[in-house]
Amino acid sequence: MAYGNRKMYFASLILALAAAMAVGACSQPKSAVTEANFVQVKDDLGRAVNVPGEVNRIVSLAPSITELVFAAGAGDKLVGVTSYCDFPAGAVSIRKVGDTQTPNVEAIVALQPQLVLVSTASQLEAFAEVLDRQKIGVYVVDVQGLEDVPKRIRKLGEILGTKIEADVAAGALTRRIEVVGSSIRTDAPPKVFVQISAEPLFTVGSGSFITQLVRHAGGESVTKDIATGYPKLSKETAAAMDPEVIVLSDSEDNREPNEVFRNSPAVRNGRVYRIDADILSRPGPRLVDAVEKLAEAFHGKGESGPVN
Amino acid sequence: MKRATLIFFSLAGLLAAAIAAALLIGSESISPFGLTEQGRAILFDIRMPRVFLGACVGASLAVAGASLQALLRNPLAEPYLLGVSNGAALGTLLAFVFLEGYGFARPILSFAGAGIATFAVYQMARSRAGMNVERLVLSGVIITTFLSSIIVLLTSVLDAARLRGYTFWLLGDLSQATYDGFYLTLAAATVGTIVLSSQARALNLMMVGERDAFDFGVEVGRVRMIVFAMSSLLVGTAVAASGSVGYVGLIVPHLVRLAIGSDNRLVVPMSAIAGAIFVVLADTVARTAIAPRELPVGAITALIGAPLFIYLLRRAN
Repeated sequence: MAYGNRKMYFASLILALAAAMAVGACSQPKSAVTEANFVQVKDDLGRAVNVPGEVNRIVSLAPSITELVFAAGAGDKLVGVTSYCDFPAGAVSIRKVGDTQTPNVEAIVALQPQLVLVSTASQLEAFAEVLDRQKIGVYVVDVQGLEDVPKRIRKLGEILGTKIEADVAAGALTRRIEVVGSSIRTDAPPKVFVQISAEPLFTVGSGSFITQLVRHAGGESVTKDIATGYPKLSKETAAAMDPEVIVLSDSEDNREPNEVFRNSPAVRNGRVYRIDADILSRPGPRLVDAVEKLAEAFHGKGESGPVN
Repeated sequence: MKRATLIFFSLAGLLAAAIAAALLIGSESISPFGLTEQGRAILFDIRMPRVFLGACVGASLAVAGASLQALLRNPLAEPYLLGVSNGAALGTLLAFVFLEGYGFARPILSFAGAGIATFAVYQMARSRAGMNVERLVLSGVIITTFLSSIIVLLTSVLDAARLRGYTFWLLGDLSQATYDGFYLTLAAATVGTIVLSSQARALNLMMVGERDAFDFGVEVGRVRMIVFAMSSLLVGTAVAASGSVGYVGLIVPHLVRLAIGSDNRLVVPMSAIAGAIFVVLADTVARTAIAPRELPVGAITALIGAPLFIYLLRRAN
């Protein structure tokens, strides 16, 4: 008797599920845009993306991309951003759709965007397939270093229809980058250690744009040849590196240099600088702020202490 | 007992050799003769506490594993696989998040977490018909995954930047070794090994069966409490210092039994020395394999431990 009941229960459960799926299949949301006026563009990974001629509703899935979109003058077109998108101020009030690695696809689809901008940190394949079916383009923005910042802003301006603002912003950033490049001394670059987290000790390696940022600001990262972007470094090696300057990517768990640096020239001479982690580690327009702060720390008359 | 003395001294000699080798090898090559100021800092402030802590963590986990296996009459009982390490890890995480200013909160909550997890697994695995091997392992799986999901939940809800290091640490990482951590782990390992060795005779009898042991005058309930408390102490302090280094408590006692038989009067104390050797060597690999980058030592022990365990199981059948 009990067994029969259970069988019935499962049968009805399966029926109910099937019914729900059938209803779901019939009521797919209408696509956000009409088929006409699509332009095919190549994104930063070389993928062909169909972009409507006029873009008014976009979602950004990375804090750095949100900042780039605002810099390109298209911040008002953003209808969804990640929960970490807190800059500029205008980004705070935009609908949150999860974070970069775990975006809420339902929330994104419900916003009916015409284009979703993602970074290379997202789980692209599965995600793009789902949005593709909804006729929502997925465009990858990949900033590899400082020089990419003005380029990406220009390109976003073209795609999003804010070319003039974007060109002005990109031009201003390019000039600031050039000013830094011409103001630094290149004869004796200080040996710089960038500390991403104190415990465990993470730093920046050959694959990180921060290594390049340090070089552009006239310093030499002592970990520039270590493989990968953000290696966990042996403390022995760190102690032997004797950095002259320590840059802390300033966040709650990274306010002081690791204990192993206590005899380093950097700590002895008080050349420890804190740069807000969001400015230093988001590959967006504020990288230019970061490179200016680094250059000042390396070459300016600047006393030690927080730079920001 | 002459054989026991011989085994003890050969293992102690091996441990001394392993520690010496570990102290001489690292991502930076330093000569022990004519040390520079920097070389001295690297050897004594960075490498030495790490090697010593590794030895104590290995001893703790191996002794906990050996006694749990004897008590539960289950060759698969191991702190990591039973979820005890995860209980300790959750306790450590809670201390880290809510009681950051209090240095002793970490090992204390870690100990509490290990104790609660041990008790929970034991209660789940117990049945009127007794406790079979599979039931205990399944209970361990349930506790492990349950605690893992709480840890994932907590780390997702809490500020990610603060916990970035924690996820690496969870895999078993000795890079945050300090002398304070070493002293505490050494104290726990010493107390735990001595107390559990003192219960070895009772454990020998209980391996035959709890009823038989009872007939021989063993206070079964008391022995069980002592083993649970001491293994929780060992695992709690080890995990608070180095995260969840897996498989040590499984592999080491099995190898020891293969070498010297299953008399717990020997297995428990010898597991301490053998566990120390195992983790010191594994961490040397973790420190140097991709130097100057580092691997978590837990990945190395699992890499060696899992296949070795399969081999041991097949051989046992």
